[in-house]
Amino acid sequence: MPRDASSLDKLLENPRLWRGRSPARGSAGLASGLASGYEQLDQHLPGGGWPQYALTEILTEHYGIGELRLLMPALAALSRTDADAGFSEPGWIAWVAPPFQPYPPALQQWGIDLSRMLIVRPKTDKEVLWSAEQALSSGTCAAVLLWPDRLDDQSGRRLQLAAEKGNSWAIAFRPLAARSEPSAAALRIELQAHASGTRLSIIKNRGGQPAVLHDIF
Amino acid sequence: MVQHALAFDTPPAAPRALTALPTAAQRLWFCAYLPNLSLEASGSSKDARVVVEEQRGIHRVLLACPAASHAGIQIGQSAHAALALLPTLRIEERSTLREQQAVERLATWLEQFTSVVCIAGPDLLLLEIAGSLRLYGGLSCLRQQLAAGLRQQGFTAAMAIAPTPLAATWLARAGRRACVREAANIARVLRDLPLSCLDWPVAICDAMRAMGVIRIGDCLRLPREGFARRFGVQRLLELDRALGRLPDPRTSWRAPERFCADYEMTGEQSDREILLAVCHELLLSLERFLLTRQLGTQQLWFSFFHLRAPATQMPLGGAEFERHAEHWSELLRIRFERVLLPEPVIAVRLQAGRSQVLPAVSGRLALQTKPGEPGRRYSMSQLVERLAARMGCQAVQSVATIAEHRPQRAWRLLGLPGNSVVTKLAAIRCQLCRPLWMLPEPTVLSAEHGYPWLQGRLTLLEGPERLETGWWDDDGIARDYYTAVNPQGLRLWVFRNRKHAPAWYLHGFFG
Repeated sequence: MPRDASSLDKLLENPRLWRGRSPARGSAGLASGLASGYEQLDQHLPGGGWPQYALTEILTEHYGIGELRLLMPALAALSRTDADAGFSEPGWIAWVAPPFQPYPPALQQWGIDLSRMLIVRPKTDKEVLWSAEQALSSGTCAAVLLWPDRLDDQSGRRLQLAAEKGNSWAIAFRPLAARSEPSAAALRIELQAHASGTRLSIIKNRGGQPAVLHDIF
Repeated sequence: MVQHALAFDTPPAAPRALTALPTAAQRLWFCAYLPNLSLEASGSSKDARVVVEEQRGIHRVLLACPAASHAGIQIGQSAHAALALLPTLRIEERSTLREQQAVERLATWLEQFTSVVCIAGPDLLLLEIAGSLRLYGGLSCLRQQLAAGLRQQGFTAAMAIAPTPLAATWLARAGRRACVREAANIARVLRDLPLSCLDWPVAICDAMRAMGVIRIGDCLRLPREGFARRFGVQRLLELDRALGRLPDPRTSWRAPERFCADYEMTGEQSDREILLAVCHELLLSLERFLLTRQLGTQQLWFSFFHLRAPATQMPLGGAEFERHAEHWSELLRIRFERVLLPEPVIAVRLQAGRSQVLPAVSGRLALQTKPGEPGRRYSMSQLVERLAARMGCQAVQSVATIAEHRPQRAWRLLGLPGNSVVTKLAAIRCQLCRPLWMLPEPTVLSAEHGYPWLQGRLTLLEGPERLETGWWDDDGIARDYYTAVNPQGLRLWVFRNRKHAPAWYLHGFFG
């Protein structure tokens, strides 16, 4: 019997084994999430908020259906929290290859500290991923938003590792077509808008359950 | 010689008062005269070599090294005759540029001893050392250090010390290892010097020799008025300055504030690792240059020279003023990967841009970091530098708001973060929400029955917010802004122009 127990322990030590609802996975620490500012969403996310230090994917067909609004309360909190913490630099928010110009007065209305914004406009898709990885692993950016043309499984994994290494939150915006592709992201959210309202479905939720939410805004 | 009263030996009353000034008495000048500069400027070697200069179409030996002189080569010989005497002789053409560079290098080195270093002539260096005596442990100590340093760098120098710069110069040129500390003794020491050490025009020296004047002492015995009339007031003034009767202000040489250094390869080089090592070497000398001046720089230019192609330029920019070679080396590695060299490199030049005083920053103990804080790989400015090094400065931006009602003017790009001081600009109170995505230019929307249309009829949710401003410049607006939603659920920021082209426009998305 003791022999069986030890082999089970050995099995559980294997990092490739995904342990369902276990919140404490590795050093990345899923224990506490970053409050999203939307109660309905927080309830479905493990740790009660966005998975910090990991990759989140948001799949949308159009821009302008609330994909940024979803993140704004959390980003605003990130850009301001560390300011009082004393020794460390406040968290920066990097925007890598945004499709339009993020409009500063609107960001300010959402409570984002503009002096902590960094907009990077790379020319090629390779540079998008490189800059995002640099920003994530530098340890100075609290969040990195990126709009890659395409993101294969391997690049996604690299981003995930960089986010863990630099204790940063990576958010990749991808088209709906990417839904069927495998992904290393800790959280995948599909956002669809209709005349009646917005439908948010959690496709992949590490440590939680998939869910569908309506009209959270 | 009737006018003895006016001769140099008994100076007039007023100049005597001048020499009595304490400031004049306190000065002490060190002069280093480099007679073999043209030979030594091109480095030292054991081979027999000579420097030649073209004189009336014939290359004649200007200077010969001891080994060459030993073989019988004489100064003034033609280059062919010298080669006939010693076939292994290395012949170099004189280069005044190289000499000047050597003297400037020496002057930079000498700046560690005193703040007043003058390059008085192509082969003359003057140092004011009265203020440095205590620091360097007295005159003899300082003199030994200077002599040893000059010798170590491969220069033969004739040195002299005197209270006036001209006296020191003449003594050094005459090869007297004299050290005069009192102004009163100058005249006595100068008296024995030959006229040749004055460096006066040949015509004047010949005229003097014809008069039987062969030493400076003979000059000093001449009546002042006659001397000035025959040889010019300038010569008289020079003598007065040398004796300390007249002030002789000198402008001290300043090392250039911009760094520029070259590295010449022994042959053509295309190995990137070796080139990187050369660049690192240049960066180290830049660091030394900046460190002694407490400066930092933000911009560097590397130039790689090729034999048969124009030089390849590689600028390197930082987000902050920086001096550490390691820091630049890291950026260089990223940048250098993407540089295409059309040909092997024969020389590398490093030029530094504008520099700025870099205040020292207090270090921080590792104890003070928060326990849960992640190991930070590098700071924000370093991240920005890395991004800009690979993609160019214009690819990295930050933003700010401007107190302005016109939406398209209510913000601006700031360029590199960390480069500029971020000002907290007052935000204008807006009636309606602003969209998170802004279009660069408003686009016209089609309209049906007076309602805007974008993949279906738009429903206006909020508004209007009337903005009518900017009449004072050419960019005035008169618009009613609305928040609208289309059948697909896209939330849009639209406006209706009230003046010139009354139509609907799309200006942003509520992302």
